[in-house]
Amino acid sequence: MLDREEWLPLARKLDWDYSYVREEEVFPEVISGRPWLPHSEWKDWEESFKTSYREYVDNQYEKDMAVQAVHDAVGRIENVQKLALPWLNSLKVHAAALPLAEFTGVIGNLRGARFGRDSAWRTMATFGALDEYRHTQIPLLLFHPLLRLDSQFDWAHKFYHTNNWFAVAARHFVDELILGQNAIEFHIATNVVFETGFTNLQFVGLASLARESSDHMFERMVTSIQTDEARHAQVGHPVLAMVMKHDPQYAQYLVDKWFWRNWRMFSILTGLSIDYLTAPDQRPYSFKEFMEEWIIDQFLRTLDEFGLEKPWYWNLLLDELEIYHHMIYASAYSYRATLWFNFVVPGPTERKWLRQKYPKYWDDMDAVWEQISERWRTVGPGPENELAVHGTALPTFCDLCQLPLSAGTPRKNAARVLVHDGRKYIFCSKPCEWIFLREPERYANHTNVVKRVLSGEAPTQLPNLLMEYFNLTPETWGTDVHHGDYEWLRARKIPAA
Amino acid sequence: MPIPLYGFLQGDTVGLLILTEETETLQTLARKLQDAASLRVAGRNLVQVVFNDKIIDPAKTVAQAGLQALDRFDVIPG
Repeated sequence: MLDREEWLPLARKLDWDYSYVREEEVFPEVISGRPWLPHSEWKDWEESFKTSYREYVDNQYEKDMAVQAVHDAVGRIENVQKLALPWLNSLKVHAAALPLAEFTGVIGNLRGARFGRDSAWRTMATFGALDEYRHTQIPLLLFHPLLRLDSQFDWAHKFYHTNNWFAVAARHFVDELILGQNAIEFHIATNVVFETGFTNLQFVGLASLARESSDHMFERMVTSIQTDEARHAQVGHPVLAMVMKHDPQYAQYLVDKWFWRNWRMFSILTGLSIDYLTAPDQRPYSFKEFMEEWIIDQFLRTLDEFGLEKPWYWNLLLDELEIYHHMIYASAYSYRATLWFNFVVPGPTERKWLRQKYPKYWDDMDAVWEQISERWRTVGPGPENELAVHGTALPTFCDLCQLPLSAGTPRKNAARVLVHDGRKYIFCSKPCEWIFLREPERYANHTNVVKRVLSGEAPTQLPNLLMEYFNLTPETWGTDVHHGDYEWLRARKIPAA
Repeated sequence: MPIPLYGFLQGDTVGLLILTEETETLQTLARKLQDAASLRVAGRNLVQVVFNDKIIDPAKTVAQAGLQALDRFDVIPG
């Protein structure tokens, strides 16, 4: 029997020459990706984590046992009931967004495990697929039983199977990023940008937030997932290096496109959790500070490492750090019944903190919260008044990212109308329009929620849209956590922020 | 036949779908958008409608202003 050091290189590097079929047929460009290169170019493909199946299983077993132990110790409903209500709603966001997106990761990695261009790549992608099974099962195991506590946790299973507007946007994102993607674009977009650039670090940040919020179950879950991400994310780096060598413009395009698309989703998932759904005294940093320290700096180092340029929209992105997720949160709050989790109005303490952290545009956002607060004050608190403090006209959505047209600033919304092949499209921002124009055949036929309403596919009236199309019920749709009953709101005047 | 337009009120955080008619004036259109956004933005009496980067006479109708389905218009303080 071979020892590990002899066996591992043999098992990892198991490529051969084909005698009865051409290499282009075994690895067609449409599914393996471009640039298409003969295996002789890929044969030196290497990554830093070299593991055997036995080692993999042993490690994962230990990690699963650690998650189980924490679940047994602090994952009971009575433990979760002790968490602050806003944080509980951050959990509902992640409970819905994570599990089935991770499951698409199984499929994306299995595509790499078959159509990756070197056997070592395919071996690592196989482990990646197994990782993603864990990442599907763990959140389902931890979150779905919380349905007994709160019916909104049903969305852990339900979310991606609905036509809820955020599910439409999330599906549009993961379908392109992972589910229907060729192996090269998948591994660059998912491993380099999504995992190394965003989730890996997001999980570090989320674990820290969870710890501050005394949510040790969530902390353990994201830490356990993050250790897998750190390993299989390495698949993408040698793939990017090869594309950079043969087609640097294409490599730059993929990185630019996917950084923007990731930014859109993560600014909502992480931005809202940090800056609104965590109590101010439990926020170790603002979302902007987190992005600057953990995402922006790291991403720039990665670009430098590969000889890539900053994306052309870099200054715009830095400006969006100041405002985009605030625009989204205020919009989502005023359409909270369209979502499956609950919201809070930032009170004077939160607004003072937000002004400190986001001085550039906060005056404009403060005016919006003042107006919403005034509406609550006028109608009075109570669940019966929820819909009196709620939007009535249909909000609008981007034809690329499918998210609300909430980019730019309150003074100047950045939405752009484009006529392409005789059809009219609207984009939340210049980068979304740019991505559409680079590959219109990929995006042109997808309809956003507004166009579904206008075509008669989705109901026109908001209550029908919520119940028949977004799969919500009055019991599960989002409300204000306190139904407008805030101590600070009872006072005659809101203290100046 | 109602005409769907993307309306953006200055001060607001999201664009809204506004259904209008060819014969409706821009003044009425602006009022509709302000009403739809009133949860987030306080109403104003004096506003202007901007289409294709130009301020349009509020007495004009939607048809006269050249607004067509799925166009963007903005409402800004007057």
